[in-house]
Amino acid sequence: MNEINNKNWGTSYGQLVWQQFTRNRTNLFCLCFIMVLFTMAVFAPLIANDKPFVIRIENKLCFPLFSTLTANDYSVFLTAIIGITLLFLIRRNSLKVDPFLRSAVLWKQISICAVILLIGISLLQIFTPRKLDATDYNAMLADSKATDAIFPLVPYGYGRTDIKVSQQPPSREHWLGTDDVGSDVLCRLIHGTRVSLSVGFVAVGISSIIGIVFGAIMGYFGGKIDFLGMRLLEIMMSVPTFFLIITIVAFFPRSLFNIMVIIGITSWTDDARFIRAEFFKLRNQDFVQAAISLGLPLRSILFRHMLPNGVAPVLVSITFGVAGAIFIESALSFLGFGVAPPTPSWGQMLSTGVSTSGQFLWWLSLFPGTAIFFTVTAYNLLGEGLRDAIDPKLRKAV
Amino acid sequence: MTDNGIILSVQNLSTFFDTEQGTAKAVQDVSFDIKKGQTLALVGESGCGKSVTALSIMRLIPSPPGEIAAGKIFFKNHNILELPEKKMRLIRGDKIAMIFQEPMTSLNPVYTIGDQIVEAITLHQKKTYEQAWQMAEEMLAKVHIPEPARRMFEYPHLLSGGMRQRVMIAMAISCKPSLLIADEPTTALDVTIQAQILDLLDELQQSEDMSILLITHDLGVVAQRADNVAVMYASRIAEQCSCMELFNKPLHPYTKGLLNSLPQLGTRQNRLNTIAGNVPEPLNFPSGCKFHPRCPIGCNDKRCQTAEPALKEVSKNHFAACWYAEGYEK
Repeated sequence: MNEINNKNWGTSYGQLVWQQFTRNRTNLFCLCFIMVLFTMAVFAPLIANDKPFVIRIENKLCFPLFSTLTANDYSVFLTAIIGITLLFLIRRNSLKVDPFLRSAVLWKQISICAVILLIGISLLQIFTPRKLDATDYNAMLADSKATDAIFPLVPYGYGRTDIKVSQQPPSREHWLGTDDVGSDVLCRLIHGTRVSLSVGFVAVGISSIIGIVFGAIMGYFGGKIDFLGMRLLEIMMSVPTFFLIITIVAFFPRSLFNIMVIIGITSWTDDARFIRAEFFKLRNQDFVQAAISLGLPLRSILFRHMLPNGVAPVLVSITFGVAGAIFIESALSFLGFGVAPPTPSWGQMLSTGVSTSGQFLWWLSLFPGTAIFFTVTAYNLLGEGLRDAIDPKLRKAV
Repeated sequence: MTDNGIILSVQNLSTFFDTEQGTAKAVQDVSFDIKKGQTLALVGESGCGKSVTALSIMRLIPSPPGEIAAGKIFFKNHNILELPEKKMRLIRGDKIAMIFQEPMTSLNPVYTIGDQIVEAITLHQKKTYEQAWQMAEEMLAKVHIPEPARRMFEYPHLLSGGMRQRVMIAMAISCKPSLLIADEPTTALDVTIQAQILDLLDELQQSEDMSILLITHDLGVVAQRADNVAVMYASRIAEQCSCMELFNKPLHPYTKGLLNSLPQLGTRQNRLNTIAGNVPEPLNFPSGCKFHPRCPIGCNDKRCQTAEPALKEVSKNHFAACWYAEGYEK
């Protein structure tokens, strides 16, 4: 085994695409930007919170921030940390010499991580105490009842109402100003990242799973199944997503989850059509025929042998889809059909800029608007970069 | 039927395709037997129904539009046309394996060679991943691929056509099938590689004691490898006999024409002999004997133009479908 030279091995399709993708600086920049957004979304309560990390009250050290975090917050942290660890492990593994060992080790690591995650989340859900802490630690500091406080970077909570400081333009205390109930815009912006990113990912996750399965079956079987599938798909396409969401939100309680599901189950048609077209092409390829003649089960033929060869256009449509879902959520929230306040969301913040006092508070519209703009642009550029990386005609010799 | 060691017995197989222009009768009334450890060569021009016959045996005819209209296919005494799809899947790859014509596209580009062979092995045999990996490596060695341990980790695009065909063969024989269907296994390869691949098939046939249905249009290939030959013309078998007999004493005018069109070593010829005319289209077969428009005898013969001769035994183990074949009962 030792004489095997690492460089002599074939690079896989994925590696080729990755090489091509990372060659473009814009792609890397967008990827980094989205990573930063993700970090912000995951650790939002640690970045912007009105509870201090540490505070000394009557000579006793307290950790109010950590004791007020909910089980969900902790679960999100745990998931993120394990996910990042896994990414590093994969990266380190891919440098290993023996790919057989590599895949075996990889699966072991993935399963261990999954087990830790499951156990961790369930323990957290059971054992995290639900504590509401209404103490105003700033007041305590001012009364010198407490000392030695360390606050997060943005020391305001997103649900805080303080009429005294409402509608302030950006200043030293409030870097991006405050809205008309006196909440800090930066804080709400950071917490709003959670909504936007999770809508993008969950909605597109749902839609791509439905689209891929549906399109795969239509494309593989063709004939009557394809005919019926296409008619169903055309019906779905003629449903105006946005108005359907508005209608459904009117009947059901306003919740983020509902919005995600509705966006997901109405926007799978593009994915299904892409996959269907790819599968039509792949169905008659020799390696698919060979796979059938080996006696492989249908599931394996569809999703193990055909899907990786036809998934490229869907990957691109997924990235664009994330951007689209963020847009839809922002628009819904702007119109007041989105997530219920006080949970912040960018679209909802955008709408506060014009609604109340009649005057236009520029900082309330500019910053969330910029955030939406950059996020959507980053996703679109990412999708475009991916498309270029996948297209073999644009691939330069490595 | 098994008494005389017959592995596969195709009886009166007819496969039709429904098209907008009408029913294309791709295979009509084809019968043949393959004995254990023997090779039957199915020879014919492109479009004469060879591949459709092979796909019918594997039950891989796309349906619709294709349909096995009549006939029986006995594999080890079971009519596989009556098996449910689930049971058929267990036979495919395990008992009957197939090699395709085009090695360049027959391997999945996104998986390594090793992954693909291991998948084929673990599908039909109870083996752990490590055992299957070991076995796949042995298979690659068996088909004479140098450095099998390294090749296991390579992607198909790094291998040449001949190498890929070897991998395909390794995959096909990894479950020790009793019947191997080789659909023009060497058509897409260099002549030198052709010989190697055919030698390999010979060698494996002997070591694994499997039967081979060799589909080809290359009579040179047939001469060396096959025990029996069936010549197909326009969806029917025109002549069927042992390999020796076919070359020594061809009876059907089509077979004669084919043999006549082979270049002969040692003789000077400016042009190769050909059979005049073209292969008829399955949608538009001529009346009577399908070969009559191109046949030196049949083109002026009333009977050939109106009545189709059935395949009959003209001498021992020699079948022909021609009114004028020597010994054909009229």
